[in-house]
Amino acid sequence: MSTHHREWPVVLGLAPVMLLILAPFAWLVVSSLKTEAEIGQADPYAWPADLMWRNYQDAWQIGGFGELVGNSLLNLAGVVLLSLLTCAPAGYALAKIRFPGREWLFYIFILGLTIPVQAIVIPLYQVLFGLNLVNTLSGIVLAQVSSGIPFGIFLMRSFFMSVPDELVEAAKIDGASHLQILTKVLLPISTPAIQALVIISALSTWNDFFLPLIVLISPEVQTLPLGLVRFASTYASEYRLVFSGTVISFLPIIILYILMQRRFTEGLTQGAIKG
Amino acid sequence: MTPALVLYAIFSLLPIAATFWLSFNSSAGFNTASAFVGLHNYQATAADPIVWQSLWHTFLWLIYHVVLAGGLGLALALAISRLKVTQVFFRTAFFLPHLVSLAVVGVIWANIYDPFYGLLNTGLTELGLGAFTQGWLSDPALVLFSVNVASSWQGFGLYMLLFIAGLQSIDRALYDAAEVDGASSWQKLVHVTLPGLREVTTFVVSLAMINGLKGFATVFVMTNGGPFYQSELITTYIYRLAFQSQDHGRAAVLCILLSLLAIAVTIAFNRWRTRLSR
Repeated sequence: MSTHHREWPVVLGLAPVMLLILAPFAWLVVSSLKTEAEIGQADPYAWPADLMWRNYQDAWQIGGFGELVGNSLLNLAGVVLLSLLTCAPAGYALAKIRFPGREWLFYIFILGLTIPVQAIVIPLYQVLFGLNLVNTLSGIVLAQVSSGIPFGIFLMRSFFMSVPDELVEAAKIDGASHLQILTKVLLPISTPAIQALVIISALSTWNDFFLPLIVLISPEVQTLPLGLVRFASTYASEYRLVFSGTVISFLPIIILYILMQRRFTEGLTQGAIKG
Repeated sequence: MTPALVLYAIFSLLPIAATFWLSFNSSAGFNTASAFVGLHNYQATAADPIVWQSLWHTFLWLIYHVVLAGGLGLALALAISRLKVTQVFFRTAFFLPHLVSLAVVGVIWANIYDPFYGLLNTGLTELGLGAFTQGWLSDPALVLFSVNVASSWQGFGLYMLLFIAGLQSIDRALYDAAEVDGASSWQKLVHVTLPGLREVTTFVVSLAMINGLKGFATVFVMTNGGPFYQSELITTYIYRLAFQSQDHGRAAVLCILLSLLAIAVTIAFNRWRTRLSR
């Protein structure tokens, strides 16, 4: 095959497109190391005279980014854990246990898959308010898990349906309970589905803005995207702080992705196609 | 089963039902008394010109997003899937924007579009293209498109991955057969590749439309619907009515409209997909 002859023209064509698409990242990182005066010169191709690492120190302290990252991580851990705990058993029940009203229940869950969270936000806020969960991380976790449940159940159910019934029947004959079948038989062979659920729920939680905007009011409980937006509008005239704060907000996930890109890619494509 | 159902019932099903109830009531804000007003909110909504404007903007927003993000995703997938040695490198690099939260994307692109210090205007000026500088976010005719470019920059990566997966699942034998028949690369694209991608395409388009309907964060951060409601979407108008004007009745009517649009898109694409697979 002449694949190597075909490789380089495509590479040469793609390289400028890549530079254009990734230019915002390069510009932000370079600008975040400039002084306010250098940014004021408005020359995006100029290199900073001295690398101003202290922009990062200042932004980190003024913006309270330590707390924001901590809140985002807690939020993410809560959602991922609770999603697994709720969606795996429900997916199992919908896939492998026959009970009256199963189809009906499945369609009720599908309904939530289509309705955007923005469309139910007013009563959702009232429910959280009634349960004293406004302005708490637990409140945001519960709301996000619930809005992710339809997708999670759909994903787990379609994976479990692809497992042969004989495997489940054999465990039943051996006297295994439903919980044992789920944890000892099904989950050990469900790594692709679990991986997809973890990556998709983690990414959507980490990036969520709408629900935190409504539920998390005080700065001490806010997550990273919300905190950055507040920081960027408060210090709008101090570009060096806005730029370094922005880089702080996207760098961790990008590094994590580059380290685990194969798992990310598999999880996202699997999840999207199954779900 | 039960934990999932309880959570879902409290935080999703109850709110869905309550939205209907709200739409028939007047309420001046959270935790205030409300009264049944019949179809009054529906009439007020239909008479509100900003509703129709935001509906039109949402429609344009969907089209822009499908064309820009879906189109770029498809073009890049076609190019990248031809690569052997550097495929993973390019796939990884082009996916990076998708990892950035849309709210953070809003902050980034608000700065890119900044008329004085932004990358776009300063970059154009330095290249001698000063004539093309614009008030990207202040020009009423341009603002919706400008904000959509930011959202699509974030969105195309996932569509690209899905198209790449779709391309990999096309049977190699079809290409070999086309080559034996002496097909040119253009003929192979039109007669083998694109038909083979039909199912993925319906999926990507429906996903892009649903994502478009949910569009909120970039508009909220970059323009807050302005100038003069020129970038107002249904979602941002819901937020404005519900959390700033405290007009829950009319916000609820828009919520129902948004749900119906989402359901219509889903049903239409499911029909299309089952027809294809037959």
